[in-house]
Amino acid sequence: LFIQLAEGKRHAPPGKPTLTSCRSPEKETFTCWWEPGSDGGLPTTHALYYRKENSETVYECPDYKTAGENSCFFSKNDTSIWVNYNITVVATNVLGRTFSDPVDIDVVYIVMPNPPEEVRVSVTQNTDWPFLRVSWEPPKKADTRSGWITLIYEVRIQLENEDEWEVHPAGQQKVFNIFSPRSGGTYQVQVRCKPDHGFWSEWSPSTYVKVPEYFPREKSMWIL
Amino acid sequence: VVYLVAMCRAVPIGDLLDRASQRSDKMHSLSTQLTQEMDTHFPPYGRMQMQRPAECHTSTLQTPNDKEQALQVSNSDLMSLVRSLLQAWVDPLVILSNSAITLPHPAKSSISSKIQELQEHSKSLADGLDILSGKMGPAAQATSSLPYTGGTDLGQDRVTILNKFGFLLSCLRRDSHKIDSFLKVLRCRAVKLQPELC
Repeated sequence: LFIQLAEGKRHAPPGKPTLTSCRSPEKETFTCWWEPGSDGGLPTTHALYYRKENSETVYECPDYKTAGENSCFFSKNDTSIWVNYNITVVATNVLGRTFSDPVDIDVVYIVMPNPPEEVRVSVTQNTDWPFLRVSWEPPKKADTRSGWITLIYEVRIQLENEDEWEVHPAGQQKVFNIFSPRSGGTYQVQVRCKPDHGFWSEWSPSTYVKVPEYFPREKSMWIL
Repeated sequence: VVYLVAMCRAVPIGDLLDRASQRSDKMHSLSTQLTQEMDTHFPPYGRMQMQRPAECHTSTLQTPNDKEQALQVSNSDLMSLVRSLLQAWVDPLVILSNSAITLPHPAKSSISSKIQELQEHSKSLADGLDILSGKMGPAAQATSSLPYTGGTDLGQDRVTILNKFGFLLSCLRRDSHKIDSFLKVLRCRAVKLQPELC
């Protein structure tokens, strides 16, 4: 019992922190996150340091606040692309300092955009057959207009009370038509995007649409 | 013949740049697949000795490093950067292609065919851009010479060869991303009237 108590109270240098991920939503800024190791029973602080390729100068993280706890945000002014960043996190308490394993990143390889925005679904009925028209906008932060980032999209829909999603690649288009929806069915629609060279965003929040009751005309009737 | 020339002139620059960026997109995807394929069987002890990106033979070429800089570069200067980079990879791609056949790597046949495919895309992209830059004026036709001085031999032992091969691919991956990014900016400048593209 005595040993256990002593161990419980034993103070130590901090455990090793781990850099868990880095992500850029638009090829213009990026954020890195870390997970602290044990604190050694003492107040422990963490700092992130980085060095850019072609330079010996070591800088400290410019902004610990914007992206929340255990993170470092690099604004436009602090972000270069096609340049490797060598990043290390250092945990410090009164008994010592512990370094994370260093990570080398180039911002162009960590691009994952925010989900598409303003996803709208409407039922278009000006033809014999109603169809769903899904439209959206690229995430606000991504500058697709200048060509700095190129996004492709994927739409998925799910009929209420069914488990399966139906996925449709939409290419660079910001509108997609889905034909032959079920008469009277309620659909849940989501859209996601991916940069030309990068990772898929999360799916956008769901948008719902109810298809009015309609009676598909039998084509054979016409032939008869 | 006159009719043919007229036909060729009729293809809008935006369409030509769209085709060009499809090639450059493919080139970058291939170089990414290649670096990943190399990584799956890379000797971890060898990785430490890999040369730094600053040692790429194209690293002396001044290119923009962020969006603000890139968007300030004129059309003809962007075109010149793209063509200089493409030109700089002609010789190293031959070396990569020749070495791939005997590469001490389990995926060498897949690596070899991807490099050939890359060479073909690179060649047809360069040909296309020769024509395109001709329409853009003398500044777009100027290129910087970035000779590869690493020699035609990648080395003798397995680790050296894999290291040098992997290093060249990592340089190619970065440069093909630059080429693709600059072409896509040029494409959007040319197709301002097609909002569905940009």
